[in-house]
Amino acid sequence: MNIARRKYPIFLTFILFTTYLIFVDLVDGNWASLENSLENLSRFFRESLWPPNWKVIEARSYPSCERSWDFLCSPAYIGIMETLKIAFVSTGFGFIISLPLATLASRNLYSDSIAIPFRFLLAAMRTLPSIIWAIFFVILVGLGPVSGVLAMTFYTVGYLGKLQYETIEGLSNDPLDAAKAMGLKNSEMIQRVVIPETANNLISQLFFMFEYNVRHGSVIGIVGAGGIGYYISTYLKFLQYDKVIALLIILFFVVIAIDLISIKARSYFVDDATFKSPSLFGNIFRAKK
Amino acid sequence: MSSVIHAVNLKIGYSPDSILGEIDNLEIEQGEIVSIVGESGIGKTTFLKSIARLVNPISGTLKVFDTEGVSARGVIGYIPQKLGLIKHETVYSNVLEGAICNESILRSISGFHEEKVIDKVKETIELMNLSDKIDEPVKRLSGGQQRRVAIARTIAQGPKLILADEFLSELDDKTVENVWKSMLEYVTSNNTTLVIVEHNIERARLAERCFKLEKNEESDYSILSEVKI
Repeated sequence: MNIARRKYPIFLTFILFTTYLIFVDLVDGNWASLENSLENLSRFFRESLWPPNWKVIEARSYPSCERSWDFLCSPAYIGIMETLKIAFVSTGFGFIISLPLATLASRNLYSDSIAIPFRFLLAAMRTLPSIIWAIFFVILVGLGPVSGVLAMTFYTVGYLGKLQYETIEGLSNDPLDAAKAMGLKNSEMIQRVVIPETANNLISQLFFMFEYNVRHGSVIGIVGAGGIGYYISTYLKFLQYDKVIALLIILFFVVIAIDLISIKARSYFVDDATFKSPSLFGNIFRAKK
Repeated sequence: MSSVIHAVNLKIGYSPDSILGEIDNLEIEQGEIVSIVGESGIGKTTFLKSIARLVNPISGTLKVFDTEGVSARGVIGYIPQKLGLIKHETVYSNVLEGAICNESILRSISGFHEEKVIDKVKETIELMNLSDKIDEPVKRLSGGQQRRVAIARTIAQGPKLILADEFLSELDDKTVENVWKSMLEYVTSNNTTLVIVEHNIERARLAERCFKLEKNEESDYSILSEVKI
């Protein structure tokens, strides 16, 4: 025990020293570039970013707004709604596709000869980040939200599939043994034992994935796959950083709101959930006992 | 009486390099109540799993209902040591799982079960004195109640052979008496064979015949033999 404790300071020192050496290697002697960085940041913030340009919540000049409230025709509203729609649809499609693939990739249900190829497939799908998938689908189907949906569906399948097969493999063998002894086939075991037993975790992961896709939905728009990222990208091209910061502030609050709703919803589905769900802010700020 | 389990020169274990036990000759008839005793880690659970075909025998003959392959659907009811219940589902859903074991997957997904299946589930739950807990999630029940749910699931399945792995452990004497009584009622009235694995000799005495798995000096693995207890 004492020997193990003594190892920690040595290990931490080693990690810190290695990190420093790699950093020095990356800077490659160009320390001057870091010298004025804080001052540059401060100037950029004062001259270009602040104050945010709230014109982004006003109606666009073209096409003319036919809605009663100008905000509903603003780039911020249109962009955010499109991002939410892309995230929602791709999470739904991703879940429907990933669940059968995840069951086939589970080694407690299928032999290695079946499970391993499906694991490779899921790994391949999540190796490419959603932004790369987005570039690929923009080339394939053109600019717009459809390429965003396809890109995020692909990434969701890879990412969610991994979470799902790990959950399935974490199942106790006993319910599966009882079902196998009854003579149930794998497909029946999945429907009658695996899905009911893992349902809480699968739903919790679904909410998590939606949150994740909303955050990434803003990134993929930059390459033309729709959503708020499209507007961010456009304002960046025209050096309208004050509009970019305004959109980022709005996005930040939307993500926080979704996060809060998601935590609340997930608390009803996790295993140790009580019927009296904890408060929203309690979930975030209180340490888990 | 017809033979339910017939084993000759059977070697059990998870791989040929690690044989756990050997059964020279074993014959268990329809309607018999049999216990298997032995120390922890001696191979009792592995033997039970071999009968249920959850583990393949390493060598020898093991016939269950005259077949060496997987038995017909629904004829074997297996109660694992940790019961194998779906903990956050209700008592009704868990027992239903046993009752619909012969149902097609399409009917099962649709959720429209036959009236007689639903009646059977309710009857079995009543038999186990769990009617007041029918809509409770299993995780909220006591250990004894959970065991009764596992028995109810197996009974609702209507098996001709029940394999129960230490299903009376961790229970107080009063609960053992109740759980055993419920099980006995079913097996005697349906002429079902019951094989229980026990490490507690007192509980093993509840059976009509008892077998012991133990190591001898000549062999590296345990040998099954019938004992009087």
